[in-house]
Amino acid sequence: MNRLDAMFERVRAEGRSALIVFVTAGDPDLATTAELVGELAEAGADAIELGVPHSDPIGEGPTIQASTLRALRNGTRLSEVLDMVARVREVQQVPLVLMGYLNNVLAHGEGRLASDCAAAGVDGLILADTPYEEAPELTRATRAEGVHRIPLVAPTSTPERVVRIASAARGFVYCVSVTGVTGARSELSDDLGEMVGRIRRVTETPVCVGFGISTPEQARRVAALADGVIVGSALVDRIGRAGSPGAAIAAARDFVRDLAHGLGGG
Amino acid sequence: MTQVKVCGLTRVEDALAALDAGADALGMIFVPGTPRCVDDAAAREISRLARGRAVRVGVFRDAPPEEVLRRVRELPLDAVQLHGGEGPEYLARLPFPAIKVLPADDALEAEAERFAGVDLLIDHPSGGGSGQVWDFARARALTARGRRVWIAGGLSAKNVAEAVRLALPHGVDASSELESAPGIKHAARVREYVEAARAAEPETREPDATGYFGRYGGRFVPETLVSAVTELNHTYAALREDPGFWEELAEHRREYAGRPTPLYFAARTSEDLGFRVYLKREDLAHTGAHKINNAIGQALIARRMGKRRIIAETGAGQHGVATATACARYGLDCEVYMGEEDVRRQALNVFRMELLGARVHPVRSGSRTLKDAMNEALRDWATHVRSTYYLIGSTAGPHPYPMLVRDLQAVIGEEARAQIQAAEGRLPSALIACVGGGSNALGLFHAFVSDSDVEMIGVEAGGEGLEGGRHGAPLNAGSPGALHGSLSYLLQDDCGQIFEAHSISAGLDYPGVGPEHAYLKDTGRAQYTAVSDAEALDAFVYLSRKEGIIPAFESSHAIAELRRRKGGWGSGDCVVVNLSGRGDKDVAEARRLLGSGD
Repeated sequence: MNRLDAMFERVRAEGRSALIVFVTAGDPDLATTAELVGELAEAGADAIELGVPHSDPIGEGPTIQASTLRALRNGTRLSEVLDMVARVREVQQVPLVLMGYLNNVLAHGEGRLASDCAAAGVDGLILADTPYEEAPELTRATRAEGVHRIPLVAPTSTPERVVRIASAARGFVYCVSVTGVTGARSELSDDLGEMVGRIRRVTETPVCVGFGISTPEQARRVAALADGVIVGSALVDRIGRAGSPGAAIAAARDFVRDLAHGLGGG
Repeated sequence: MTQVKVCGLTRVEDALAALDAGADALGMIFVPGTPRCVDDAAAREISRLARGRAVRVGVFRDAPPEEVLRRVRELPLDAVQLHGGEGPEYLARLPFPAIKVLPADDALEAEAERFAGVDLLIDHPSGGGSGQVWDFARARALTARGRRVWIAGGLSAKNVAEAVRLALPHGVDASSELESAPGIKHAARVREYVEAARAAEPETREPDATGYFGRYGGRFVPETLVSAVTELNHTYAALREDPGFWEELAEHRREYAGRPTPLYFAARTSEDLGFRVYLKREDLAHTGAHKINNAIGQALIARRMGKRRIIAETGAGQHGVATATACARYGLDCEVYMGEEDVRRQALNVFRMELLGARVHPVRSGSRTLKDAMNEALRDWATHVRSTYYLIGSTAGPHPYPMLVRDLQAVIGEEARAQIQAAEGRLPSALIACVGGGSNALGLFHAFVSDSDVEMIGVEAGGEGLEGGRHGAPLNAGSPGALHGSLSYLLQDDCGQIFEAHSISAGLDYPGVGPEHAYLKDTGRAQYTAVSDAEALDAFVYLSRKEGIIPAFESSHAIAELRRRKGGWGSGDCVVVNLSGRGDKDVAEARRLLGSGD
């Protein structure tokens, strides 16, 4: 069974929402990312998204752009991220999802990426610049390998689109909470409950909300509405501001622990 | 529509599967001793079943004409296909249609001449039925001349679309790849092959319903933007068929943008190069470049969509200035994203945009040039998508922009086509235009795409040379990938990170190119060359002195390619070059590069 599916079953049984956190792979370096995976899982993250750095991250706000740039300066490559996951998998079973941009996937090869993900122990794949109906080869290949290609739904998605996306979704539906790019927001949308409800009406697949969630308080409010809460920029920002890999791990761990406590996990 | 043939049928059930799948033609082999030779009883039954539903083709090899004739009458058959050494005189004796099989070897063109007027089936050089594939594009020279050609050799659902796209054949023929054993067809493979052939798009001037020119194009945007590009697509689909929109646009082009622009006979250049050179004077359009054609058109569309806030990206500032101009004209709010590096290099254009009432946002991310300006514009759009119209400046971006921008620029070629016919009484031998994103080139090419005798030459920025990687020539030295909303050729490393482009010309300084150009390159309809910074600079001086016209650095690339062709055409040939913009903006940089001048 895919680790994401098992995780959502377990979290549902515990009567709470999942905490999913995002870090950019290779920021500050891949060895630290590997350590972060273990530490953040330990601190209460139910799943971890690993950002695959791309030269042109059109879906990202300033925080993740800066983080991406740091990872790229280290020369972080998709193939190395996969190797890192394979190493981490020897000791760590937390669900791992790669999040990135199509061109890195195309360069790697769609079919090859799906099988490499399965072999390394990657459970899901999110492409920020690729609507669900594009890259059908990748969809076929990931399905064949049991890796979930996780679709996004945005506040601007039409009702018909929401139905089509949600009913074809695997793993979870990534519900984008705000109209815009990634990054911390002080206010979350009032329509969030309505939006999650629309998705829930058409699918049993878990619905997770991301974009803009930056405090334990916000996470708790979103957790009341959805099966999972995704926190990215606020965590990436703490890693970026830390003076050393050690400090980055400590800051990230403390923050994730706070988030997890707010959600009743950890 | 492409005819679909299933060949090598030996069993009635296989013929039924092919008919049910919708095949247009069924082939039965009457060559004794070969693994797919059909027996008489099966052949009669297949012929009976296929009557009126599909063309029944008998395949023979060096059989006596009497025998062929007997089969045709007895079974009966509708046509024959000849695989042996049968010559034209043999075919002339047959009183019914025949298809001559030719191998795709060196003798193909000569052999096709020898069988003038005969339908051809072109197969792998190693002989019919081998199942190996060959370069299908080779057949294109024949189909382009109107020959009826069938393509065969290793076809299956996997590659039949490619064969259709590259060769634009009358029909396709498959046999061995559809089998589970020699002579035994696999029903699912037959069905998939027929479906794939049906779905295959022959070379076309239009993207398909999902925005693809062949394998290029698409809509690779964050989900937040999907509804916006869909809305634009619907709006434009309606406007495209609305004569009122085009009349309004024509009036604004005439009264405001200064169209039509002249097609100027460049006498001294013609004398120097040995053929007749015409320059399409887009430099004389309002704001000094073709960019205004697109800006006016999209501003009218934005106004009809009720969007009052316009955003745009710009490199050198030509598109930014054109957009700011159109927004001033139509009373729209305008914000322009421009790389910080370009803001510094093109300070005068920044002032122009501000003078026209636009706000210019310097972009500090990434390489701080056009690519990053476009990233930032996409981020702005995602954030303000409900109120904002993104006015993309080239034939790039997600569908429908590549088609939309091309349509708005197609006025260049439409005018040029009428003008050259008035001047020369015929079409030009060739068209030459520079290619960055590709809008001025497609604007010129579009009206001529179906005129297969008109050569189309796109000129990319060769920068400091293609070897060192400092250039803007993805079609010459890049590879396919996804950037800024579409699949096309890109400058990228082996793990898919996009390189910065380099060119003397800021308008060509972009690592991608419009998807339709990628398509025209792959199909061979257009050819793409690259011209170095130094050659472009030479051409900049050359045209200034020969014609008293100072071209933009972008257009100087087209002029440089033109000069390379000296002696390549005869005195009876005429060539149209798109002079996409005027060079005033580049004078200061040229002065620096050339030294203080004379």
